[in-house]
Amino acid sequence: MLNYNSVTNTLTSKLLCVALNDSQQLEALNEEFNQKPYIKPPTEPVLYYKPRNTWSTTGETVEWAHDFDGQPVKEMAVGGSLGVVIGKTACRVSEEEALSYVGSYTLVGDYSLPEENYYRPDIKGKCLDTSAPVGPKLIPAADIPNPDALTITVNVNGTDQSSFPLSQMQRSVAQLISKISYIMTLQEGEIIAVGFAGNRVAVRQGDQVAISCDEIGSLINNLGEA
Amino acid sequence: MRYARILVAGDELEVTINQADEIIKADGSKLDLALDAEEITWLPPVKNPGTIFALGLNYADHATELAFEPPKEPLVFIKHHNTLTGHKQPSYRPDNIEFMHYECELVAVIGKTGKNIKREDALDYVAGYTLGNDFAIRDFLENYYRPNLKVKSRDSLLPLGPWLVSPEAVPNPNNLRLTTSVNGKITQDGSTKDMIFDVPFLIEYLSKIMTLNPGDMIATGTPHGVVDVKAGDTIVCSIENIGSLETPMVSEEDFYKENY
Repeated sequence: MLNYNSVTNTLTSKLLCVALNDSQQLEALNEEFNQKPYIKPPTEPVLYYKPRNTWSTTGETVEWAHDFDGQPVKEMAVGGSLGVVIGKTACRVSEEEALSYVGSYTLVGDYSLPEENYYRPDIKGKCLDTSAPVGPKLIPAADIPNPDALTITVNVNGTDQSSFPLSQMQRSVAQLISKISYIMTLQEGEIIAVGFAGNRVAVRQGDQVAISCDEIGSLINNLGEA
Repeated sequence: MRYARILVAGDELEVTINQADEIIKADGSKLDLALDAEEITWLPPVKNPGTIFALGLNYADHATELAFEPPKEPLVFIKHHNTLTGHKQPSYRPDNIEFMHYECELVAVIGKTGKNIKREDALDYVAGYTLGNDFAIRDFLENYYRPNLKVKSRDSLLPLGPWLVSPEAVPNPNNLRLTTSVNGKITQDGSTKDMIFDVPFLIEYLSKIMTLNPGDMIATGTPHGVVDVKAGDTIVCSIENIGSLETPMVSEEDFYKENY
């Protein structure tokens, strides 16, 4: 029998990601999102968690996923996002004051199965072990007065595959912090990945991926072998 | 055996509760308070909560109630610790909504790390069971990662407790009567035997996707019988062999006070 004390020693933080925050992606999917099962385009930020088993950092290997038969999956994909690290408790804050609740900025990688559907929570695709590296360091918020002016690139084996100017986000960093803080109280150290380029980048076993931003640095990870 | 976390006179205590309903402190001494004493503030019984998985549409009758076909695969979503609160602690009803309901759920708490756990071994990974009330605000549903976080990830809307019950006290988690009352009137009356995907199945399923860790929880869904609840209501969720979890509902303004 297990005892109560075994339910201890766990990290308590949060990695919250915003999906569908690329305005060009939303425009491209507009017709699909006006049909079943979606019926109408999203009116609120589309959010998902990367739970603690996914957390990792720069230099670590991202495990190659296996399907339910234990076979290596054929495809995985990656997106890169600015990571907004909350600096103090944020409860029901306005858009105007939202950036004052940011402690620092970093980068977040979201490795997953290819995004095919947004109707149900994508536990199978998004909750893979080691699939959410964060890093390489924290840049104080004061050093980045306008986070929406940053550009995030994804480079695979030395070739740029995606470049996402955050000015293209459907909702700005401040808008997201405010909106989210009316759903849940955000605590110091919790991280919001505010937006990914709509076109996720396909990756293969053994690839080296660098998610970069001039003002932050490069988050570098290798995909594992099967 | 029942394990609980309580606050008494500002001290956080990890206690056990024996069959005579006496509260025993970690040093073995008896706390001179009854279970219903007002001096006790009940905390969520899992001290270091991990990933909280919750099931949608996991009872055939509730799935029908919501006009859905029963799922062929579990509908799993994740909640975070901001949702947790304890027995007799307030949960809030957001302003300007039409329909908010409770969901009385058996919650299995994971006690050891595992991946690719076989169904027949699954219960070895359960540290105990508790009871969760996985509130939902139907007005906020959107068809993106449904049920979306605005519906299911709000502060205080997952009361948990009152205590964690060890597995040997729950020999058959698949046959427990489950009821909810609102202001003393029973509005939900079901049994965990009607669960579509049971605890061993869910542990096998989730651990094929990811590593499960101590403190992770699986809230297993709710049966037929959900009704709208309002500020001022008292909701009591009960599960046989586990206990009764009481939640007073308050308004958004009364909950957030100076942050409102």
